[in-house]
Amino acid sequence: MYSNGKTSTAGNEPVAGILPSGPLLRARGIAKSFAGNVVLHSADLDLYPGEVVGLLGENGAGKSTLMHILSGGLQPDAGTVEMHGQPTHFNTVLDGIEAGISFVHQELSVIGALTVAENLHLGHMPKTRAGFVDFQKMRDEAVALLNRVGAGGIDPRHEAGTLRAGEQQLIEIAKAAGRNPRLLILDEPTSSLTPHEVEGFFAYVRAARAAGTAIIFITHRLEEVLKLCDRLVVLRNGAIVSERRPAETTRQQLITDMTGKPAIYEYRERQIPDKTVALSLQRVRDRDHLEDISLEVRKGEIMGLFGLVGAGRTELLEVIHGARPLASGKIALFGTPVSHRDPSAAVRNGIALVPEGRKTAGILPQHSVRDNAAISSLRRFSGRLFSDLRGDVTRMEDYRDRLGIRMARDTQPISTLSGGNQQKVVFARALMVDPSILLLDEPTHGVDVGAKSDLYEIVAREAERGLTVLMASSEVPEILALCDRVAILSKGRLAGILSREEMSEDRILTMAFMEH
Amino acid sequence: MSQSLSIVRDLAKHREASVLVMLAAVAIYLAFASDYFLEPRNLLNVGRQASVVAIVALGQALVIIARGIDLSVGSVIGLSAVVGAILMRDTGSETIGLLGGLATGLACGVVNGLLYTRLRINPFIATLGTLSVARGIALLLTGGIPLPFGGFAEFVGAGRIYNIPVSFLLMIVLAIIVHIFAVKTVTGREIYAIGDNPKASRLAGVNIRSIRLFVFALSGLLAGLGGLILAGNLASADPNLGVGYELDVIAAVILGGTALSGGRGSIIGALLMALLNNAFVLLGISAYWQVVTKGLVIIFAVGLDGLQRRGDDD
Repeated sequence: MYSNGKTSTAGNEPVAGILPSGPLLRARGIAKSFAGNVVLHSADLDLYPGEVVGLLGENGAGKSTLMHILSGGLQPDAGTVEMHGQPTHFNTVLDGIEAGISFVHQELSVIGALTVAENLHLGHMPKTRAGFVDFQKMRDEAVALLNRVGAGGIDPRHEAGTLRAGEQQLIEIAKAAGRNPRLLILDEPTSSLTPHEVEGFFAYVRAARAAGTAIIFITHRLEEVLKLCDRLVVLRNGAIVSERRPAETTRQQLITDMTGKPAIYEYRERQIPDKTVALSLQRVRDRDHLEDISLEVRKGEIMGLFGLVGAGRTELLEVIHGARPLASGKIALFGTPVSHRDPSAAVRNGIALVPEGRKTAGILPQHSVRDNAAISSLRRFSGRLFSDLRGDVTRMEDYRDRLGIRMARDTQPISTLSGGNQQKVVFARALMVDPSILLLDEPTHGVDVGAKSDLYEIVAREAERGLTVLMASSEVPEILALCDRVAILSKGRLAGILSREEMSEDRILTMAFMEH
Repeated sequence: MSQSLSIVRDLAKHREASVLVMLAAVAIYLAFASDYFLEPRNLLNVGRQASVVAIVALGQALVIIARGIDLSVGSVIGLSAVVGAILMRDTGSETIGLLGGLATGLACGVVNGLLYTRLRINPFIATLGTLSVARGIALLLTGGIPLPFGGFAEFVGAGRIYNIPVSFLLMIVLAIIVHIFAVKTVTGREIYAIGDNPKASRLAGVNIRSIRLFVFALSGLLAGLGGLILAGNLASADPNLGVGYELDVIAAVILGGTALSGGRGSIIGALLMALLNNAFVLLGISAYWQVVTKGLVIIFAVGLDGLQRRGDDD
């Protein structure tokens, strides 16, 4: 089952999974700095065969640096790594793979133009006797691999680029599973999976654990690590601050470990005195997905929009924002009917969007922080001839302070900021429009716990000042933490609306599954 | 010492730097190799040769910054010149002829823009189509025979002010205007935003359809202007005017530091192209070698830059 005899420790070594005691990997005093910034101080970590370790920490805590060092992608400044008690040194990622370490990165590296089967066999395609690729064998192996990770529904003959992000993620996991690693490192593997896919993936992780693989699972979703892991390791500011057993800890405790602060944002009871309807939808339909959605959001209200993948959350926001054509139905802003044929018209009318997918749809990666923040409001502040370049500087300072954006200079490329700070800049962009309606689509996706509660604080504060918010989210805790009401979508229909008093995780999920 | 080093390092960060170095190298070599190179008359000739390519490259640069490409500019040069000459001949009015020529360029650009933004045809394909159609119309209108062209256009194309070619002065003025437009106006900034991430720009409220239409229209208009200057310089509107210019123009844009995936632009690249053309004439080298060398220069200049930026994907 394991790649045989390729490590330096092979020979008299028994099969790893059966080895009763002693860690598979022992890291001691690992330290790493980049350009004078200490990213890791002397981290110690032991990993045992057949154990799932949850690695938690905010962005920038040093998780990925530590994982890159363990897998050979980075060289530590100090410290030692032992495998099976033997000092080990990986010069490259390939050395790590040879020794049985597989790292599934957060960024997808599936090649879109190749089929799923080809992606799974990249670099080692089976050949027929004549020297051609053995497609039959490749497909059969692909089916087996996909089944192992709970992705049996994916056809290995499909082009990988046509698949959803979640399906591509499963292909990455299947690729790693195919190497039968001794140590499997998974960085945010579930962020784009449907609940059903998550179950299948968990089943694979449990099977791999039973077979003796050591697994490191990195995620921001605390419910998942509490459910799946045997041990939880928390990194903060480059040091390991706690190791806990899931049965003996709580969400609160873990958040405190990660942030150094006792609590994350909690729902604040508020009065919404203004009865004005800010946004109303009447029997809204698009061409293919949404059916007869009617909804009213009051001024200053935070309305949640919950649904499973494919329920139509993003599509509904796109229709309101003019990015997707309205096939029938009516949309009104403060009682005035509107029809936006382009997002530019919606933004002019005071509807701003923080889109899903920061990298693909949010940031302008080569642009500076300041230009990224300014792009939506250029026309609002422009003079007759020239753009208000000077005003951009002062507005950026203003929003940096208001939203707590951490950066060295506002002229640095936005891609050099952490994910949470990038997202705050996208928020600043939307708020600079001075919108009356703010649409949020998965606003805290892939953002660490600290930045998450900052973003919640920002949304709540703006709502208290009269901003109307419609927030699509696939995370129930997020809905519960922030929303005054929640509309639940299921397969393109409105399954129901729950008030604050009626809201609970159970009821929300039950309604979301209603038409399945 | 350390200061001058840091200047060198700053320079090396820009793609223009490698082009500048090459420009200097070619110029120094020519100064030694040819007795005529440093003659004012020849230098001005270089300026004149550069100007048409550079003017058309200004529009092309904005198109490429917005992640498009306009392959039709060479044919638009020809068609605009021919339409201008016909209108001038038939109406007897020089103004109508010149305005008609510019309008032809603008119309071609608008057609390109509409094919892209309304019919959603990839700009590479759409402008490849108009490249062929525009050239065909120019040939049909003239029966393949060049028409006489003169008057004000001849002054712009071949005339001098204080001994400096008018077309060169026009190029400088236009370059300054386009530069200020691109950096200081809202539309200019939105062009850069679209080139960086079209999807994010659209969702942020940038009207990407109208911006794209605008850059193609501007590229067409400047190609039309280039056609009038070129015809004026030759005192003849040849339906085959501007054949192959799209390559010189795109090469000039890329040499000027604009990444094909959206980025920045400058007109230094156009000067290098003109200098190379001049070098071949002065050194008496076969025109065929000229074509080979142009390609090599592009590969070398952009390749040098790629080496400096290595690490992006490996």
